[in-house]
Amino acid sequence: MSTVTATAPTTPVADMQTAAVLRVRGLRKAFKQREVLRGIDWDVPPGRVIGLLGRNGAGKTTLLRCLLGLSPLDAGTVELFGEPMTEPGGERMHRIGFVPQTFDLFPWMKVRAYLDFTAAFYAHWNHALAARLLGDWELDPKQKIGELSQGQRQKLAIVRAIAPEPDLLVLDEPVASLDPQARRAFMAELLALMQAPGKTVIFSTHITADLERADADITLLRDGAIQFTRPLAELRERMRRAVLTRSDGWPQAPATAGLLKATLKGDEAQLLVEDANPDSLHALAAREGATLRIETPTLEDLFVELA
Amino acid sequence: MRAVWQLWLLPCRQLQVGAVLLQLVWLVAAVLLACVPAAGAWVAGAAAMLLGFGSWFWFTMLGLGLRGLCRPESFLLPDFRRRLAWVGALQLAQWALLPTLAALLLRVPHALLGGAAILLLAALGLAASTARYLNLLVWGLFVLAGWQPGLASQIAKAVIASPWAVPLALLLTILIARLSLRAMLRIEDRETDSSPLENAQLGRARAGNLDGTPARRGKLARRIGAIFDGTSQRAMEQALARYRRKPSWHLRMVLVRRLLLPHDNPQALALRLLLVAAIVTFYVVAVMHRQRFNAVMVGAYAILLGLSRFPQLGRGMRQMRPNLADLYLTLAPRTRADYQQTLLDALTVLVPITVLSTLAYTGLGIVLTHAAEPLRMLLDAAIVSAGASLTALAVHLIGPEGSFGRGLVDIGVTLGAMAAYWGGYWLLGALGHALGSGVLLLLTLGFGLGVWTSARREYLRRPPCFDAPLA
Repeated sequence: MSTVTATAPTTPVADMQTAAVLRVRGLRKAFKQREVLRGIDWDVPPGRVIGLLGRNGAGKTTLLRCLLGLSPLDAGTVELFGEPMTEPGGERMHRIGFVPQTFDLFPWMKVRAYLDFTAAFYAHWNHALAARLLGDWELDPKQKIGELSQGQRQKLAIVRAIAPEPDLLVLDEPVASLDPQARRAFMAELLALMQAPGKTVIFSTHITADLERADADITLLRDGAIQFTRPLAELRERMRRAVLTRSDGWPQAPATAGLLKATLKGDEAQLLVEDANPDSLHALAAREGATLRIETPTLEDLFVELA
Repeated sequence: MRAVWQLWLLPCRQLQVGAVLLQLVWLVAAVLLACVPAAGAWVAGAAAMLLGFGSWFWFTMLGLGLRGLCRPESFLLPDFRRRLAWVGALQLAQWALLPTLAALLLRVPHALLGGAAILLLAALGLAASTARYLNLLVWGLFVLAGWQPGLASQIAKAVIASPWAVPLALLLTILIARLSLRAMLRIEDRETDSSPLENAQLGRARAGNLDGTPARRGKLARRIGAIFDGTSQRAMEQALARYRRKPSWHLRMVLVRRLLLPHDNPQALALRLLLVAAIVTFYVVAVMHRQRFNAVMVGAYAILLGLSRFPQLGRGMRQMRPNLADLYLTLAPRTRADYQQTLLDALTVLVPITVLSTLAYTGLGIVLTHAAEPLRMLLDAAIVSAGASLTALAVHLIGPEGSFGRGLVDIGVTLGAMAAYWGGYWLLGALGHALGSGVLLLLTLGFGLGVWTSARREYLRRPPCFDAPLA
């Protein structure tokens, strides 16, 4: 099996650059000798759910931590709510909700005490929402955090992040430890939160079905750079998989306009094509002596092909 | 054999300074044994003493390391128990079998008995981390020996002379090792984590394992732990209520302290002092007998006890880094330096706590030993502990990342503070209380404040770090 890849150009999501919630320029980050982020340029408009996709080790967590000032940058700039992140800037941090990938918060504290402590520092904290979520998600306020399961801790982290009703919610694989019911409940809360104007979510996950449910814009992180940011609907509309089949196999991938990636498997050549022209694909199939099948790839298919 | 080697390296990796020192002790003992033909059998006695203490400390360290390693997941490793047994055999060979064999070849008198005693001490060391009740039994023996020294001496002489001494020691060793290993290899539910910054000193019975996982606790320790947790819970609720009524910088700081140092509230401090007082009183009166104590030594021990808090603080600050990201977002500081300043302000409360604790311990020591010059001791302890706690806090905030470097710093600060106490005691005697305390204040507090100011500046200059420590 051999593959040929091409990268789709980065395109702006909308003409909202000036009001971007987040603007990143030339962000570089390395751990010792290993360069994880290699000059990230990224704009996140307000009012959208951004699904950050990338393979394990692509640098999603590092990117999210750099954005929030939790990890120092080697180079580049980050602007959050229109101001540079050279300093946290006080109340600006309260407009951000963050759910980290691993939740090891103060295990000696009880759930209620932890939420009360956190709420005491916030000017705006939706106590009713927090109480409702604790009840709905069966989190015992009298239990110590250290006694909660990983999934319950994740739920608590989500409650803590959502309760201040932040303008920007940054979620680093928040549903990895949740059962399907909890995942659905979480997505429902997330969508409810998004109904308020100007709320933005950056959502790193491998569960692409959740991004489809949220109708997210997809940002693909690969090789330490943002490969593209596009609305899911646009991806669905413009991406096609052309499967060419012939009995004597494929010594090399056939070339066609808009080809992003070609995968050869036995007698099949699977071509991921952007803005595919059916006529030219049929002509290609005729030229190569192959049968043609055109499919609409799912987001997971796209992730597997492009990430 | 690679797995066995990795297990053997465990104490060396986790407690580097101690491991290096104890291996040096073993080396010195080996050299002394080699000198027996030239210097005579008396050198073997010194070697046996070194090996006895060395094996006790080494196996205590080994037990601490293994206590963290022996968790349910580890038992899934192929041949884990067999490899553990190999490591145990190698350790025993190094500390007991080889020296005993060498002593036998050199015809050292009581070589077998010495070897058996070393094995017994090694087993007791292992029990110190897993089956602490066994250590209490040893304490009981010391108590009896303390109250009836003549009888104890006669029994000891009879045991040494008896042909049953070696088998008895070996039997006891097997029994203690079996009980310790059974406790160590038992699969239990994990204890809830405590705050990494928590005080793990005497009276808390709550030390974590070397790898940061919570230690297994007995019923009594769990009850004491629950009382401490209750006090921290109440303290947090009170602080929250006061902050809600009237938010202020001071009350905000109290809240942060209640979060970071949950067991440093007044009730918990009083409880801790009470526990320490009970244990120390028992130790001094029942075990060691008060007349054997030098008052100056007691003051230095009080300094040591007070400062024992800070190494845990250094470890805890590193361990808590990922958690502190949440605090960072919650506090929403204006600048990074503001955030660092908040942490500094929260932690500086440890200086007065340490001074007061040291004074309380010194006062207890004064009462128990009927010290002749209590005022001199108290003045000395107050001044030295203030300077020393400032220094200790400073070096743990900006000190080395690695455990080896931190171990060296801990030893340096503790020994330096104890030396300062002795020097201060002499100074107060030589110059009088007024002048002596003035000079001591100038020297120790001047040094402490100097180190603290530099460390503070450096800490504020550094950006906050939220990455988990690599080790």
